[in-house]
Amino acid sequence: MNRALIFIEQNNERLAPELLAVADQIHGPQPFETYAVVINGDVGSLVGQFDTVISVEDEALQAHDQMALADVVAGLHAEHQFDSIVVAATAAGKMLAPRVAMKINCGLVADVTEISRQNDKLRLVRPAYGGRMMAAIEMQGDGPVMLTVRPGVFRGPGEQHHKATQVIEPKGLRYRLGGIRQIKRESKQLSYDIREADVLVSGGGGVARGFELLEPLAKALGGKVAASRAIVDRGLISRSVQVGQSGKTVSPRLYLALGIHGAIQHVVALDEVEYIISVNTNPDAPICSLSDIVVEGDAVIFVEKLLEKIREEQINANN
Amino acid sequence: MDPKAVVEQLAKLVAPEQINTNEDDLYVASADRYKKYAFARNVLDVPAPVAIVYPKTAEQVSELLKFCNEYDINVIPRAGMTATEGGLENWKDTTLVIDTQKLDQIVKIDTYNSQATVQAGVPLQVLEDELRKLGYTTGHSPQSKPVAKFGGLVATRSIGQFSTLYGGIEDMVVGLECVFPDGTVSRVKNVSRRAGGPDIRHIVIGNEGALCYITEVTVKIFKYYPENNKFYGYLTKDIETGIKILREVMVNGFRPSVARAYSEEDAAQHFYHFYEGKCIVLFMAEGPKGIVEATGVAIEEAVKKFEEGIIKQVDSKLIEDWFNHLNWSQQDIDDEYAEMRTNASHAGYTTEISADWETIPKIYDAVIARVRAEFERADDLTMLGGHSSHSYLNGTNMYFVYNYKINCEPEDELITYHHPIQKIIVEETLKHGGSMCHHHGIGKYRSEWTKDEHGSAYYMLEKLKEAFDPKGIMNHGTIYPVKELNKYIYQQD
Amino acid sequence: MKLVCVVKFVPDVDRFEYDHEKHVLIREGSRMMINPDDGCAIGFALEMKKRNPEIFIEVLTMAPASVVPLVEDILRVGVDQGTIISDRSYAGSDSWVTSRILGRYLATTEYDCILTGSQAIDGDTSHVPPQLGEILGLGQISGITKVEEDSFGSESAVVEVDDEEAVTTYELNLPAILSFSRKSKCRLPHVRFKDRKKDVTDRIKVLSNDELGFAKGEVGLKGSLTKVAKAYTRKYESGAQLRVAADDNGVETVLKFLKEKRFL
Repeated sequence: MNRALIFIEQNNERLAPELLAVADQIHGPQPFETYAVVINGDVGSLVGQFDTVISVEDEALQAHDQMALADVVAGLHAEHQFDSIVVAATAAGKMLAPRVAMKINCGLVADVTEISRQNDKLRLVRPAYGGRMMAAIEMQGDGPVMLTVRPGVFRGPGEQHHKATQVIEPKGLRYRLGGIRQIKRESKQLSYDIREADVLVSGGGGVARGFELLEPLAKALGGKVAASRAIVDRGLISRSVQVGQSGKTVSPRLYLALGIHGAIQHVVALDEVEYIISVNTNPDAPICSLSDIVVEGDAVIFVEKLLEKIREEQINANN
Repeated sequence: MDPKAVVEQLAKLVAPEQINTNEDDLYVASADRYKKYAFARNVLDVPAPVAIVYPKTAEQVSELLKFCNEYDINVIPRAGMTATEGGLENWKDTTLVIDTQKLDQIVKIDTYNSQATVQAGVPLQVLEDELRKLGYTTGHSPQSKPVAKFGGLVATRSIGQFSTLYGGIEDMVVGLECVFPDGTVSRVKNVSRRAGGPDIRHIVIGNEGALCYITEVTVKIFKYYPENNKFYGYLTKDIETGIKILREVMVNGFRPSVARAYSEEDAAQHFYHFYEGKCIVLFMAEGPKGIVEATGVAIEEAVKKFEEGIIKQVDSKLIEDWFNHLNWSQQDIDDEYAEMRTNASHAGYTTEISADWETIPKIYDAVIARVRAEFERADDLTMLGGHSSHSYLNGTNMYFVYNYKINCEPEDELITYHHPIQKIIVEETLKHGGSMCHHHGIGKYRSEWTKDEHGSAYYMLEKLKEAFDPKGIMNHGTIYPVKELNKYIYQQD
Repeated sequence: MKLVCVVKFVPDVDRFEYDHEKHVLIREGSRMMINPDDGCAIGFALEMKKRNPEIFIEVLTMAPASVVPLVEDILRVGVDQGTIISDRSYAGSDSWVTSRILGRYLATTEYDCILTGSQAIDGDTSHVPPQLGEILGLGQISGITKVEEDSFGSESAVVEVDDEEAVTTYELNLPAILSFSRKSKCRLPHVRFKDRKKDVTDRIKVLSNDELGFAKGEVGLKGSLTKVAKAYTRKYESGAQLRVAADDNGVETVLKFLKEKRFL
């Protein structure tokens, strides 16, 4: 039977269901065994989700020492001969996986977003050129299928704890230390970068009198608040969230342009935005020409109504 | 005279609050918008002036100029600070910037005689706002209107967006007062017209601070009829069609206030929401109702005549909306500087030329072809195009507009990008018989071609400098070429 | 002290060309530039050299010969040596093969520290720096936003990694591989106007497989463990524009759209 290894990063145990979903797409519908390896992590949360959990408890193994961790994973592979290895593409995972791949002479596909089959060959699809292009990758050579996936891209069915999990605690693992020490870690003040947001609720002069309404709407949509210069100039929000030639260039999936006129200096900074919805009293405002939906009317009133409706539905859904 | 001594002497001429030696302010005073990117990155290669002085009267200006003349101190007259061709840049170690800040009074608004008198430091916007309250307008509206001041507008022969109706500043100035390096204060009186020898206003208008210092200006004012404004816009298949339509309207004797033809590239910058990848021609008719209506009919007839080149008419509301978002402000300028401090980019450069009707399209095509073929960094260009925005009976202007990714150190930006492009534009324009400087002035960065611009008439220009500024203290390097060109343009030591 | 910067030249992704039949990037002819992260690595090396002129900087890249002018510009701003690994048989190598090729050269050269970028804007994989770490037995860290310049010596380096949540400081024993993020303030300067024609050809070394000696099947498309089976651009569906009023119906329309596209 095929064996899939999921590398579970310390403090990222919650990613187990989505990484299992990846293994399922690689091996299914053939039956396969699932292994998790977790180093100094929370084994309890994994029990029931995997057939086997390999739990390594060793204080000398630091989460930031990828050389040592790669030695451990490669050692386990030598013993168990996995058919697939899945790693979350976190900052640490992206340093660990290439090392393991090199050590076990295996091809590696980074940031996979989609898995398909062509003539019985597995195809791992990933973005390249900053998402401008998609590449379907096939594996060559004899190694296992090895890949990283960004958190949140695949969806699992939620945590399911119905397996009779065998927990292995291997002893006497051999590894080198990578000569790296973490000296300190300082959490950053809560700040956000509109360049990285998937959804931007952006306000212009037309919402100046009700700009504070944008925050709850952004929250409801899982997005961030941005603004045009008209708002920033009024001192209603920091310049750091200004979209435009003199602000930032953004590429959200959804750009909600509320009371934004849309001069060229503003719209040049909208780079590959998938959807634009604009709300404007002036249906001739330039922004409207770019929009998927144009709502003609007062943006403040519209946002109030929309928020009310969303809240209503949430309450209904919870009842 | 060393800087310290200069400041000591100044203290004898004006009050302490009229002398500014703040280091940051002197850095700002050492250049203008030509070197905006190097300025933003704090790497200007030109010396800072010794001080900025703010005279309150023509007499104080006279004292200051006499002093500078005696001690060979370079003088840069300044008002508004929106110069783009190096006119405010400093190329001398010992320089005094004389700013119009405290010459800020509106002297008289005389609606009966349709004229207004202001001191040189009055912002155009301030006078315009006052006139609007009375139902009048200056008719002058350069994009810099919110920032520019009268001294600068007159000194640079500026022009506004409604020039096709109202004319350039030279058509508006009735009389003025100015001060020469020897201390002479001259007043050119305000009359409706005269045949009293050569029109000496034109020695002052456009002197760019290289001959004298302007202290007061009287301009015409016009009745304002915004309720009659009409807007017209059309997509055209090429810019030449647009220019032909502009010509048709003009030579038939009509004067729309705005008459513009845009290339596709430039149209994209202003009208992305309706230009559909095409060129644009647009008009605004302004003034008394009957004239506006007649002008509108004339525009429609001209368009009809060239209908094979017209793709479609644009909703006039879109043109009106554009028109209402036209001017830049101090905030735009500040924003551009903020951007330049963090990103290797800015809002681009322009070079404005003029020629007769048949020559303008030839110059346009020749320039675009040469830039694409010869300009080493053509790959970095993100925009290259132009528009005609000021039309006359016998010709029009061409405003070349270009932007690029800045792939060089800030100190090298101009010699790498703007200057080589401007050189091509100037060379092609002069070769075809046009003028290399329609309304930004020569400044310092086009002075290498001043002799070519004027040809045999340069003799007259040169004599003016010899006569009025024999010691060469007025704005060294502006209009008249000097050896520092090699250092500050070509980086030759 | 010797610093080796391992860098990649990438197409200007705003205007790259791709051979859709062969599924390879057409690199020759398309305009190339230094990968932004990698430029930061060189920028840091130059900063250190400014402090200590004794430092020797070598820039190493695997690339087609057409990058020579780009390497020359890097030499003109103060890098001491440029090494270009260039062999037709290497074309199409995946990250695993590329790491092995670079690793073989690096194993024969001396260094106190290796500097790289974290991620290339074309491939986006971030594989090569950690894989070089594995081949050379060195510690490696990606996403560096700052290196403490005062303490940077031959023994160790103190680096900061600034991600969205925290700034983490690490100390690494040298030699190690330090991989920079473009968020760092280090910047590769442009060649000054007066130096643009400076002759630096004597500081460029071009190596081919004659020197590195890989067997034919070990490199290029053939030696790779992954291959691009198909590449395509993602198409955004653009439906017809909807125009609604800001009334209940408008709210309903927007709400429906948000749900359909899974924003709610």
